[in-house]
Amino acid sequence: MTYSSLLFIYGFLPVSLLIYRITPTRFRNISLFLMSGVFYTLNSLLSLIFMLVCTFVNYFSGLFIYKFRSKKILSAVSLAVGIIFDLLMFLTFRTDVLNDLREIFGISETFFPVGISFLILTAIGYLIDIYRKRMKPEFDLLKFALYMMFFPKMFIIVRYRTFYRMLNNQKITLADTGRGFTIFFKGLVKKVIAGDTMYMLYTAVESIDIWKMSFFNAWLGMTAYLLCLYFVLSGITDMGIGIGYCFGFRFPQSFNYPVFSTKMRDFAYNWHIQVIYWFRRYVTKPLSELVKNRLYRKIVFIFAWSMIGLWYRFDLNGLLWGFLIGLMVTLEKYLIKFRLLKVTGIIYTYVITIICTVFLSGKDIKDSFNYLLVMLGGNKIFADSITLYLLKYYIVILLLSMYFSTGLFRNMLTRSGKTRLKDVNSVLSPVITVILLVLCTILISYSGSTEILLLKL
Amino acid sequence: MKISEISGRITAILVLAVISAMLILTVYGEKEDFSVSENRELASFPVFSVSALVDGSYGKQLESYITDHFYRREKWVSAQARIESSVCEKIVNGVYVNDEMLLDAEISSRQVRQKNIDSINTFFRNYNGTLYFTAVPTSSGVYTEMLPEYLLTNPEKKQINFLYEGLSDDIRKIDTYNILRMLNNNYIYYRNDSRITSYGAYYIYRTVIQKLGFQSLSYNKYTIRHVTSDFRGNLYSRCLYDKTKSDILDVYSYPGGAEVTSCTAYKNNGITYRKTLNDEKFLSGGDMYRMYIGEEEPFIRIKTSVNNNKKLLLIKDSYADCFIQFLIQHYSEIAVISPEDMAKPLSNFINPDNYEQTLFLFGINSMDNENLFDLLNS
Repeated sequence: MTYSSLLFIYGFLPVSLLIYRITPTRFRNISLFLMSGVFYTLNSLLSLIFMLVCTFVNYFSGLFIYKFRSKKILSAVSLAVGIIFDLLMFLTFRTDVLNDLREIFGISETFFPVGISFLILTAIGYLIDIYRKRMKPEFDLLKFALYMMFFPKMFIIVRYRTFYRMLNNQKITLADTGRGFTIFFKGLVKKVIAGDTMYMLYTAVESIDIWKMSFFNAWLGMTAYLLCLYFVLSGITDMGIGIGYCFGFRFPQSFNYPVFSTKMRDFAYNWHIQVIYWFRRYVTKPLSELVKNRLYRKIVFIFAWSMIGLWYRFDLNGLLWGFLIGLMVTLEKYLIKFRLLKVTGIIYTYVITIICTVFLSGKDIKDSFNYLLVMLGGNKIFADSITLYLLKYYIVILLLSMYFSTGLFRNMLTRSGKTRLKDVNSVLSPVITVILLVLCTILISYSGSTEILLLKL
Repeated sequence: MKISEISGRITAILVLAVISAMLILTVYGEKEDFSVSENRELASFPVFSVSALVDGSYGKQLESYITDHFYRREKWVSAQARIESSVCEKIVNGVYVNDEMLLDAEISSRQVRQKNIDSINTFFRNYNGTLYFTAVPTSSGVYTEMLPEYLLTNPEKKQINFLYEGLSDDIRKIDTYNILRMLNNNYIYYRNDSRITSYGAYYIYRTVIQKLGFQSLSYNKYTIRHVTSDFRGNLYSRCLYDKTKSDILDVYSYPGGAEVTSCTAYKNNGITYRKTLNDEKFLSGGDMYRMYIGEEEPFIRIKTSVNNNKKLLLIKDSYADCFIQFLIQHYSEIAVISPEDMAKPLSNFINPDNYEQTLFLFGINSMDNENLFDLLNS
């Protein structure tokens, strides 16, 4: 079951909200846990077992790290065991390198625990924080299990301390539930309208023979892919945040309008903030503390971005995507001495991000380089009849997607504090939310759900 | 109280009201087992089992159950087709939507499987008579101009050529593609279905029957009956886009000619029963296309009053259903084999060598089904 399915929206969500509402306060955690259990079981019992095993291993690993805190080696061993276990899980399910391990446990090849990449980061971060004595482990297994398994948190990474505070201050108001619905359906629209349509545009371009593809189509296709990636990822995080609100959990935002930034640096810091922040906290910072040299620090930064690339896509393509973004953010300071105008800045960032994205989307390295060649005009065709056809049908959604991928709309609302546009927005929001609900239901009514992620995360 | 507070509360109440109303209507609404417009069985409530829970199929089945029985599903789906086709590219659930005609947009993803070619060649090697092969393009293959260029990376003409080149030299291949292309201003394909109309089938018949050694009967000698003008076919079922005009089903008869003396259907379990061709009871509900030869069965034996002792083995898919009516004037026996519906090897039904001629007639799209001829030779 995914968030964007009829079963979830019209079955699981209202029922679980009702159960949560009627549960006495002291049983609320256990009811959240049971609901999360049902959620994962509806994906498959195997994924529930997987979640439980991960929870147990990391729970005890955390306890041992804390218990041996005065004995450095034992504590480090406990940390290593936990991290190695997590990484093994990551490699087993995200890649083919450990297929033997799968076979030993008799796990079918089709089984994929959705959200594993987020879960692994969450767990490793938790263990490192205990090891570095930034916090104590959670002794209450139930609370820790919720930290790992709470179903709205599936695609969200927060530090344990933040989650702990939310868990202990569960205050659920009707207004929050309403806000949650608004965020949820906004996310669903991002996914179902912008994300899925951009994906159609991308696949349309991709189906053209690469050596017949025109320059314009190549750029159009990659723009569609980047927008699709943005809307799908930010859409699912929004959905998660929205459900969180319904249950009184206020998870932080994950994307801050990165796509049309004026600097690569802005792109890099506003893209998937929770993930980027995790790598900064647990990879870049500790490594930077080891090296004092400025050059080495730059290398560490680029290395961390390469890791982020690998997290998105565990192969050479993913690595190159991350590496290029890290490299460009680093070089930016030296290359561009003069101040960029807003427009030229946006164009420059757009060109660079699109070129990087080619690696994230391509089947393999060769495929990506061929595509890059076409993007540089290698086929000597600027545009063709397909371009006209695609523009004719996609231009409206494309432009709307581009507009909403920037912060322009939000800025219009926040800046107009005195013109009462904000109030108008508030007044309209119930109606808009219901319209979005109906619209999304229509759009997923045929298949009942839409494939949740572009990448297997 | 702040405006945002009130608006949040109203939102919560409105959304919860809509969701719960739909949930209750879905749960307590009337359930049907079969969707006429989508022409398929709807999912039934999943049976609980541990193994289904372990591999996740229970959740999936529950999801399809809710989806299939969602309150007023058909209205939602046809709204989807209307919205998607008006704001974006005209492709809805893999169907190219157009007020004039629906077309399958997934033609290029299909291919002719080598395994099928090999099976036909093996069949031919073991067979004593003459083998004829006719591959019929789908409507998307004939009306290519209506489709966007990028969908045509693997056009059906190419697929048919690939198939014909792969077949043994001694198999007589009959081209229908060029004839149908030439006639594409006529009503040779349904507007809501990817298959040929009876009129299209007549032109295929004209070519095929000459190759089989007969003179074709001229068009104006037939009496044509429009049995319905409400037919909506397999493409409509996929998108429920209802702005395209519904289709006409025609029955061709030849007054004063030969008649069907018996028509027997053989089921996989050995049961046989009498069938009526062109049975109009199928027009009152369910899949109207079944009108031509009734329920799908692996084997149908048609005997006619033609007195020439000629027997034809027709191995076919549903593209041939409206084609059979033209054969009745020429053969005293026609054995119709449908590999898609066979659960037992061909030899359990007939011995091909009893027929001096065998005609394969398939829509080219069927050649994508890798298991189509699994039971042909074993």
